[in-house]
Amino acid sequence: MTQIDTQQAEALFSEAICNASEINELLRRYGVKFGIYKNGVFKEQFFPFDPIPRVISSVDFQFIEKGLVQRVNALNEFLFDIYHEKKIVRDGIIPEDFIYLSKGYLAQCEGITPPEKIYSHISGIDLVQGKDGTWYILEDNLRIPSGASYPLIARELTRIACPGAFTREPVTDNRNYAELLRDTMEHINCGGIRAILTPGRYNAAYFEHSYLAELTDSVLVQNDALFVEDNKLYQRTYNGGKTRIGVLYRRISDEYLDPLNFCADSVIGIPNLMEVYRSGNLGLINAPGNGVADDKGIYYFVPKMIRYYLGETPILQNAPTYLPFYEEDRRYVLEHLGSLVIKDVSEAGGYGVVFGSDLTKEQLTELRDTILAEPRRFIAQEVIDFLDLPILDAGKTVMRKADLRAFVLTGSETRVWTSGLTRFSRNPDSFVVNSSQGGGFKDTWVLSR
Amino acid sequence: MGTISLEHSSRLYWLGRYAERTFSTLLNLQKLYDRMIDMGTGFTDYLYAFGLENNYENSSAFLRSFLYDENNPDSVAYSLERAYDNGIVLRETISSEALSFLQMAKDTLYRSQHSGNIRLSLLPLKDIFYSFWGCVMDHVFDEEAWNLIFCGKSMERTMLLLRLQAPYTEAKPEFNRLCRRLRFVPEGTPYRSTPERLELLTEIFGSPEQYAAGFRNAVTEMEHLFEVSA
Repeated sequence: MTQIDTQQAEALFSEAICNASEINELLRRYGVKFGIYKNGVFKEQFFPFDPIPRVISSVDFQFIEKGLVQRVNALNEFLFDIYHEKKIVRDGIIPEDFIYLSKGYLAQCEGITPPEKIYSHISGIDLVQGKDGTWYILEDNLRIPSGASYPLIARELTRIACPGAFTREPVTDNRNYAELLRDTMEHINCGGIRAILTPGRYNAAYFEHSYLAELTDSVLVQNDALFVEDNKLYQRTYNGGKTRIGVLYRRISDEYLDPLNFCADSVIGIPNLMEVYRSGNLGLINAPGNGVADDKGIYYFVPKMIRYYLGETPILQNAPTYLPFYEEDRRYVLEHLGSLVIKDVSEAGGYGVVFGSDLTKEQLTELRDTILAEPRRFIAQEVIDFLDLPILDAGKTVMRKADLRAFVLTGSETRVWTSGLTRFSRNPDSFVVNSSQGGGFKDTWVLSR
Repeated sequence: MGTISLEHSSRLYWLGRYAERTFSTLLNLQKLYDRMIDMGTGFTDYLYAFGLENNYENSSAFLRSFLYDENNPDSVAYSLERAYDNGIVLRETISSEALSFLQMAKDTLYRSQHSGNIRLSLLPLKDIFYSFWGCVMDHVFDEEAWNLIFCGKSMERTMLLLRLQAPYTEAKPEFNRLCRRLRFVPEGTPYRSTPERLELLTEIFGSPEQYAAGFRNAVTEMEHLFEVSA
């Protein structure tokens, strides 16, 4: 069931389609929202949910699962290496420019070995499936990947609104995400309570922070209640007492974590947090400094990492990618600019992505000049004609581009959550699926047989 | 459990207050509406009880404002929005289930604006709030957190009863309930009551006569009941 058209979707998911408004009403009732800033004004929106799930066969998922475990294990090895011996640079596999010029590389993390040597505890790996069925990795998100809570709650509510679908189809239950997350947190708990650090209600992913805190029985905290004493992290309680935190799932970016180590003007950080972490008194999820491994430029080298660290052949492919940094690739990119997709490595959230075919002659010339001036800043990829998925649009089933964010959790072992966030473009002409750009989401069903 | 931060404690307390204010205001307005069916008026007494000016053309304008106007700090809509603001940052404590009732309440209130029979359309709100409180009781296992929410609830209800000059038989049991809850508030927190003020209030609530003579003072005493401004 990898590729279905609108008619098949209508036949298979008639119950979900009929009950679409009930499901959305339930999502609304449970406050499944995301925040967005437009022109400096914060707006909370309900995340548009499409009731037709993405369905992945058991065989397909087993293949993806193996590939993702392999990839995340290699990325964890890479992070340990980069912040210690840098063998991969010394051995000439990755040019040092791609490490030290990466915004995600943090010199402050040099020499730090996190608890259990794990850097990326929660990895959000974005994939697309080509029309021939091949799965491609589009992006690795190893800093604070978000989105697991949406299919998690959508499944819970869809089972209420459309129980029949789950009786007919052998869908693997995905409601174990909280258990996986709790285990992942506990695996690196250095003694104390579990806490999730949120920047607050006006963060785009606040729903997720609070929902995951509820499900994992963690305390949801903001920085103003946290302090460091005797090289340990504590929460200040309302009776003047303190409670030690052993593991912190932080949902704020590296640069704001600790004003004494990163951005000095951060008002959402905790002074001296890095010292606690460096001393091994706190498990931090994910480790600071992971940005060096999910940089769009480093993406090119991940298959090489898999060979280098694991001695294995990569199971999952990258989308065909060129690095203008290399002369040969640069020549190719400049010759084929009109047919490639160009990505600015410093941007995220679907921003900084340009399709050459959308550009005018003048814009192409301008882009060519920018690439020549700053080749390290860009990567170029072949446009993958990825699979369209059926979605419900104003009562009609139509086909739209969609990707899949798979969640890989690393604790005592690396495990892939048997579900994922499928994001789709609501615009028929767009490949951009990010929620910040108007995209919606679907549940991802993994069949058990 | 010792995991309640200062910010969290304030949210818990004010969730209790605003949720109760929403519910009690709604019930009071429904009683008032019932009286107004026969009498045609009566809302001026309500305004007087809260020390508010009468800026309303008629009873219909008054009701619309006190039910739906989010900019009127004495309206149901305003209190409900504040209850939701507090609830949404307490999801992990009160549960998604309890929070969902506040969202339902918002949706029900919003929809009732466009109903041909406002009173009928508001009936489900009563059910929703009873469910909300039941859900809070069922899902909140941290007794300190639970007690803070219900301290806020009792405090709000007692204050409203005093303002509306409720009969002694109605106000006294609520005050007793508040006192029981205040006893469980840990020392060193902003929600410890001042012994002198609590003693004075206990005196006022001591007998129907003392209540009749002192209920106006009681409102002021209640406002300053805590050692630290909460």
